[in-house]
Amino acid sequence: MLSNKRTIVFLVVPGLLVIFAGIVFPILMSVYLSVTDQQGAGAATFVGLRNYIQIFTADKTFWISVLHSLILALGLICIQHPLCMLFAILLDKIGGKAEKIFRVLLFVPNVISIMVTAKMWQNIFNATFGMLNKLLAAVGLSALCQNWLGDPKFVLGCVIFIVMWQGFGYGMLIYYAGVKGISQDINEACEIDGARGLTKFFRVTLPLLLPVIIVNVTLAIISALKEMEIVYLITDGGPGISSQFPALYLYQMAFRNYKYGYANAISVVFVAICLIVTYFYNRALKARDA
Amino acid sequence: MKKYSAAISNEAERRKKKLGRMFLWAVLLIFAVFQFFPMLWVVDFSLAKDNQLFGSEILIWPSEPQWENYVLAWTNGHVLQYTLNSLFVVLCTIAITVFFSLTLGYAFTRMRWKHAGMVLSFVLLGMMIPIHTTLLPNFLIYKRLHMLDTPWALILPYSAFSIPLGVFIMTGFLNSLPASLEEAAVLDGCGVMRIIFQIALPLTKSAVATIAVMTFINNWNEFIMACTFIGTPDWKTLPFSVYEFAGQYTSRYAVQFAVMVLSSIPALLVYALLNEQITKGVTYGAVKE
Repeated sequence: MLSNKRTIVFLVVPGLLVIFAGIVFPILMSVYLSVTDQQGAGAATFVGLRNYIQIFTADKTFWISVLHSLILALGLICIQHPLCMLFAILLDKIGGKAEKIFRVLLFVPNVISIMVTAKMWQNIFNATFGMLNKLLAAVGLSALCQNWLGDPKFVLGCVIFIVMWQGFGYGMLIYYAGVKGISQDINEACEIDGARGLTKFFRVTLPLLLPVIIVNVTLAIISALKEMEIVYLITDGGPGISSQFPALYLYQMAFRNYKYGYANAISVVFVAICLIVTYFYNRALKARDA
Repeated sequence: MKKYSAAISNEAERRKKKLGRMFLWAVLLIFAVFQFFPMLWVVDFSLAKDNQLFGSEILIWPSEPQWENYVLAWTNGHVLQYTLNSLFVVLCTIAITVFFSLTLGYAFTRMRWKHAGMVLSFVLLGMMIPIHTTLLPNFLIYKRLHMLDTPWALILPYSAFSIPLGVFIMTGFLNSLPASLEEAAVLDGCGVMRIIFQIALPLTKSAVATIAVMTFINNWNEFIMACTFIGTPDWKTLPFSVYEFAGQYTSRYAVQFAVMVLSSIPALLVYALLNEQITKGVTYGAVKE
């Protein structure tokens, strides 16, 4: 119905134009500038694949920052997600008013601006007046007090912790929806067959949550790759490059070193990495729906 | 005798259940405290004197709450003006996103055309692209077009990155909706715009609401594009309150905390009012309906 060409063009083209202007055209421009050596406002000369060759063969910082993203993703998947899942199940169990109250409360850190969260944790981890060191001193563990954000050994851990803290509610909510999606019949069948506790969790709940887990794991990888605001605001990638992330590295290359050509090449590689992850995500989804 | 023992086991069962519930409450409470304690700390010290932060107390009792911290935060943090700027930018983004999610969603689900599936997957790819990869090229483009320091430098990319999720939600919703009402309208000779906005829009109210709140949540606190494209105080958005204040009044910790509290209030208010919609939006698509 109403499928004549003019109507369709009329409906589709304006919306696509916005996406084109905001996302596609900039990326194409990135591709174009990535084969030049443009710096700041200077003229661009064509340098072929030199920038790419440098990224793949000589740029250690970039790959270390990608590695940091992967460590973050691993942290999210191995530590945050099991907690999210556990609390989703606990919420479902507690029921009633408490279920709603806790669900609403645990999501609050997600609503707070990343700017506020970043400044807050920067103050908490502060070596001289931070809450964490005070807390350690108060329970007699002053030996554990650290210059948390100034020590290359701890800074990445701190960043991962902050990301986990902020994203916890989001992940939990998705698992919660998954737990709620398990039908009452199945719960009753478990009751009758005497499946309870851990047995029920491993034999029934976990397999049924598998689709949600796939979605959540992919989201974790993507959001780990996208991580930038927290490191930008708290550590600026430092000390050294011990908390460097790809998006921040790209930003610094562009807006501090004015290496536009090189920064754009990083952009393109970065988009490619995200598209590869998306490809595997779609395959996993297809397997799920099949 | 038998009855008696049954009563005992019932009693034990009940006690066990009660204990389990208490345990559940305890675990959830501890965790909620863990999630809230940092924020409580900020609120607490926002009422303190600046130097109290250097004492050894973890929390202080605000015996003489320093309300003037908030007065200073309000006047020097530009909270009101930046909130209004954020509001303008985000409302425009929501309007654009909802409009195009509807038209695109409608075309993808209700009309038959070549490559529709391909174009849809292409649009949805937008959800996976990190905004950071467009920062530099967009900066160069907006500079050339003299769009830097105008709200459009934010509204355009915010919309472009919000429409894919909007289309995802809208197509899912329209697919689950029978097209019979719209078909009747076609037979009555309605134009396509009237069908979409007079018939489809009311029917998809809940999807539109979900798209609107998700667009709000995703863009309200956005910072990195704002800090790259906007330099003029005329159009700075809310996150700048905290950023600028921390830069200008480096040693006024308590007042910085007050700015942080103030700038969090609008989003918290929206969340308090619309948390059902937000829950729906976040979980949408993760769970097969």
